[in-house]
Parts: sequence; structure tokens; C-alpha cells
Amino acid sequence: MLLRATLLSFCLATPALADFEQTLSDHILPGYATFAASTQALADAAAKDCKADDLKPAFNAAYDAWLGVQHLRFGPAEADGLSVAIGFWPDPKGSGAKAQRALLLGDPAQLSPEHFPDQSVAARGLTGLERLLYPAEPLPADPCALIQATTLDLARMAKIINDNWVNTYSKTMLTAGDLGNTTFQTRPEVRQTLFTQVVAALEFDKDTRLARPLGTFDQPRPERAEAVASGRSQRNVLLSLQALRAMVVTLTPDAPLTLAGFDRAIKLAESLDDPSFVGVATPQGHLKVEILQQAISAVTDTVVSELGPELDVGVGFNAADGD
Amino acid sequence: MATRRAFLAGLAAASLPRVSWAEVGSPACLAAGKRGEEFVLHGLSDQGESLFEIGLPARGHAAAAHPAQALAVAFARRPGTFALVLDCLTGSVRYRLTPPEGRQFNGHGAFSADGALLMTSEVVAEGSAGRIGVWETAGFTRIDEWESGGIGPHDIRRLADGRLVVANGGIQTDPGDRTKLNIDTMRPNLTLLSPDGALLDQVELAAELQQNSIRHLALHGDGVAFAMQWEGDAAEPVPQLGLWVPGSAPQLCPPPDAQGFAMKGYAGSIAVNRAGDLIVLTSAPAGVVMLFDGAGKWLFTHPRADVSGAAAVGDGLRLTDGQGGVWAYGRGGLASLARNATAWDNHLIALG
Repeated sequence: MLLRATLLSFCLATPALADFEQTLSDHILPGYATFAASTQALADAAAKDCKADDLKPAFNAAYDAWLGVQHLRFGPAEADGLSVAIGFWPDPKGSGAKAQRALLLGDPAQLSPEHFPDQSVAARGLTGLERLLYPAEPLPADPCALIQATTLDLARMAKIINDNWVNTYSKTMLTAGDLGNTTFQTRPEVRQTLFTQVVAALEFDKDTRLARPLGTFDQPRPERAEAVASGRSQRNVLLSLQALRAMVVTLTPDAPLTLAGFDRAIKLAESLDDPSFVGVATPQGHLKVEILQQAISAVTDTVVSELGPELDVGVGFNAADGD
Repeated sequence: MATRRAFLAGLAAASLPRVSWAEVGSPACLAAGKRGEEFVLHGLSDQGESLFEIGLPARGHAAAAHPAQALAVAFARRPGTFALVLDCLTGSVRYRLTPPEGRQFNGHGAFSADGALLMTSEVVAEGSAGRIGVWETAGFTRIDEWESGGIGPHDIRRLADGRLVVANGGIQTDPGDRTKLNIDTMRPNLTLLSPDGALLDQVELAAELQQNSIRHLALHGDGVAFAMQWEGDAAEPVPQLGLWVPGSAPQLCPPPDAQGFAMKGYAGSIAVNRAGDLIVLTSAPAGVVMLFDGAGKWLFTHPRADVSGAAAVGDGLRLTDGQGGVWAYGRGGLASLARNATAWDNHLIALG
């Protein structure tokens, strides 16, 4: 273990040897720590004062922090469906708003820390909170207690994930290949898992965050964009791309085409000037978002053709092609 | 029909050197896979060790094991142009089955209880209308063909009494590749056929679930547990597991809402343990296994990268993955049994 620690610090000093140990120490752990701290700050702020306007900065900071780790769909965040409850979107049938209405009008005991975690995943998390802080129409009751319950629940979930990474799952990752490690039987399995996260997250950006509001040229669907109410649709795509690029840098110093592809997509996402994608309703705005979508599609191809071989992994044999 | 079948079985006894499964090491299951650039079929022991390996000319999908003789039928992936009857002692190809003109194998097959007949899931290439090909097993010639009762049949299972359950997946595919042509109008169903191919029962899913392709089956009590793959909006959580006892309506088994997306809408394989109190579904795209009790109540979701094959072996369950891993599985999660240089393909087929 001492040898490993020595090697690890040596790796950190020598970017040419970047590997998943560096992804863990420089990307995953700081990302979850930031998310846990920002959701705790949000809960503390809501406990003192639940006025929507006053909470918006803390809400946005927590949402930003979530975008830093949202692509890590394995390990502690997936246990008990936590990631689903933290960022429930898309919700085409509006089940979150319906469930929240019932909570606002129902028994306040449902909002207690003992019972709130059992409420519908669609009603909780960042998207639930967004509907309370940025209501599209007047809420049927004072949302203060529900805001407080939702922020407490977010902080609780973030702490569970962060604690599990720090206390347990880091070791699971670092002991890949050891006898008895049934999560990662070999070191390449860790790299494959991380690689898969990059591919899946890019596909989510392209096929969900962008494709849903794009709809078709004849029938754009701006109302289907993510985080429309808080005007974060564009920002979420941008932060997601930045987080993925940062993760790739920790995995290998040797994926120049991948990084160039990310840089191009990030630049397009930055320069879009269409915070909630209302622009897709206009021909020019639609085209601009489509160009970003194509750039993300191009990075995905490069990730598969360059980053995969560089890490000596690919999309799983069965995952790529089932039946 | 009974007379004819008895005659054919007698013929089989007379003409084939009968090698039993015991003579090839008593494998517990069969699994197709890829080793390097080679496609292969393995016989695996109950502990996941490879007992034999036979080369295949192309990527395999599932297999069917003769109930008594050491014969395995390896099916090609859709659209399938071949099925090979393999002698598991020598590794030789005993027979090469080719679907009739205009038909394609669709990945799965089943033997009759006495081994005298092999039934294969097939489609009419143009339009994907489902057929069940019927082959006698003395010389593996085609003797009959039945309608499967739907479009794009995939898995088929024989109940203990000889009736056949067909998962008509509902998806029409391009004759030349796997392009899906009817996602907006697809209507999967479960069909029950008599031992000689007459349609006895058929059920469909509710209208809002008709894009949930019913693809794989496992025997369960007096009926089957079935696994589905969602072709609709990925934002909608839909069940991947259902239970069907012929004569009644299918029962769907959604997990709790926090688990509603854990499988990414996709179940690749399904197996039920011998006691009938555990049902497992695998999802390689999500890298998870989901465990349910015998009534379809969700118990656990366990992560495992690229996991796909699932089968009941002995009193337990076995899983295989694309890294070559073979696992024992149950309420306690996964326990590693063996790791092979072969990347295991979609299915693990139990013998017996």
C-alpha cells in the first residue's frame, strides 16, 4: 500500500502516466466533495430563509456542482437510484409537478426527514426544487416547508454518495484486480467503466439535452429543454462538456483529437447565447443548436476511435450489440 | 403425429452414434462467445469452467441443447442464415441447417422433450411475419412450418407438457440487416402453441406499452417469465419483467420508481432458479443485474459491467459477461466462479 501511495504521487507529478488513480483523486473525489458541500450550504440557507429569490444563488451553485459529477453513473450515485432522484429529467408526463402538488396540499408529515426520502423520485432533487424556486404559475400553497425538505434531502443524498466514495468505493476502485474484488476484476475494467461514462454522457447531451428541445425543424420543442425555468439549459450542456473534458485529461495525456473535439464543442456551447433554448423555435437558432449537436456527435466518434484504443478499452461486447 | 414422431425417434436411435452429455464432461450450460477474432461455442461446468470449445463460422447468438445426446444447435445472430448441429464430443458440425428460401432464423430454438423435434424461431425475410420451423432430428430435415402468431418472434420455450410459448417481439426488420422498420406501429405478443403448432392462446400488452418488445422467456411455474426491451421514449420508465400463465392476463412487474431507469429500458436475458423464487434480468447497456422474487417483486439491483448471459444451474443462477467472467448469482450478489479468455455473448443456455 505504501508502494502504491508512492507510485500514486509519482503519477500525479508525471502527467504522462495519468490513469484512473488520477481520475479518482483529481476529478471524482473533489467533484463529489463540492457537490456535498454546496448542497449542505443550500440546505443551511433554506433552513434560515426559504424565500425563493434568496435561495437562487445557492441552488445554482449546487446545480453547477451536480453537473461536475452527473456523468458518473456508476458506484455510490447509482445505489438506491440516488442519481435519478437528484436530477429527475426528462419527465414527459409531468409526474414530478403532480407529486409536488400533492405534497404541497397534503399531510405535512410527508415532508419530515424520515418520510421525505420515500416520496416519488420525480418530486425531489434539483428539478423538484427548481419548480418551487422558479414556479411557472402560482403554487397552490406556501412552498417553504417543501423547499426545506427538498434541500435537506438533497444534502442527505449528496453526503451519502460522497461518504461512500471516500470510505468505500475509492478502495473498490484502487484494488481493481485483487482477489475478491467483484466490482472490478481487472484494472482495464475500471478504465472501461470510466470510458463508458464519457460515451454515455455525450450521448445524453446530444440525444436528450439537445435532441428533445430540437424536435424536428418543422416542429421544434423548446418547452422540452432541461431546466427551462431557471434558464440553465445551455449552461447545463456547457458544464457537462467541461466536466467530461476535465475527466478525459485525468485519464490520459494522450488523446489530442478528443480534447480538440471537446474544445470545439465547448466553444460552440459557450457562444450559443440561448440560455433556455427558446431559440430553437427560429430557423437560425435551431441551426445553431444543431451545429452544437453535430460537434458533440463528432467528439463521441473521436472518443470511441481515439480515447478507447488509448485506454485499451471499448464499449462492451454485449452493451454495444444486444438482441 | 404421435406415430410419425415415434417413427422418427426410432430412426434417430438407429442411425446416430449416441453420445451422451456425460461423455463430454456433463456441461451445465452452453455459451457462445468471441475469443480474439474467433467465434466459438463453449460447454461450461456448473462452476463455469470450459469443458469444450467449438469454432463457429460467424457470431452466434443462442443455442439449444438436445435433451439426451451431446448435440448442441448453435444459432446465428439475426438475420440468421445458418444453424449448426454440433457434435460436442468431436467438435464436428454434424448438420448445417439452412432456412428455406425467403426465411431467416431469428436467434433461438427449442427441442421437444424427447429430442425428436427441433423448433426454430424464424421470420419471413420480407415483412418479418413469424414462423416456427420444425425439423426432425434423425437427419435434421425440415418437416413442417407453423405460424408463430406475430411479427419478429425471438425466444421460444417448451412447457413441460409440450406446448410452446413464443415471444413475438413485434419488430419488423429490414431483410438485409437489423434496421427496425415499424417502431411506431409494433405490437408484440406472447403466443401459446400446441405441440403440433395450433394457436391456443395469445396476449398483448396495454396500448401504452406496445413499444416494449417481448424478446426473452424463462419457464416459471405453470407459465413463463418474460423480458422486454423498450423501443419508446427513453424518458418513460417501463417494466422490463412480466409473468404470464396461459389462460390469464400477463402481469407486469415494475421495480420501485427509483429503479425505473436502472436497466436503461433493456433486458438482455432472463432466468428463473429451480425453486422458482428468484428471477434475474440482465442489462448490458446499463451494466446491471436486477433480481426479483418469484412473484415479480423487485429485490436488488447489482452492478456488473457488460453482463448479459443468465441461466439457472442446479439450485442457483449463473451469469456471464463480456469480459469472460462467469458468476454465481443470488440475493448476496455476484460471486466470481471463473474467468475465460472468451468474451461471453448475449446468452447462457442451461442444459436439462
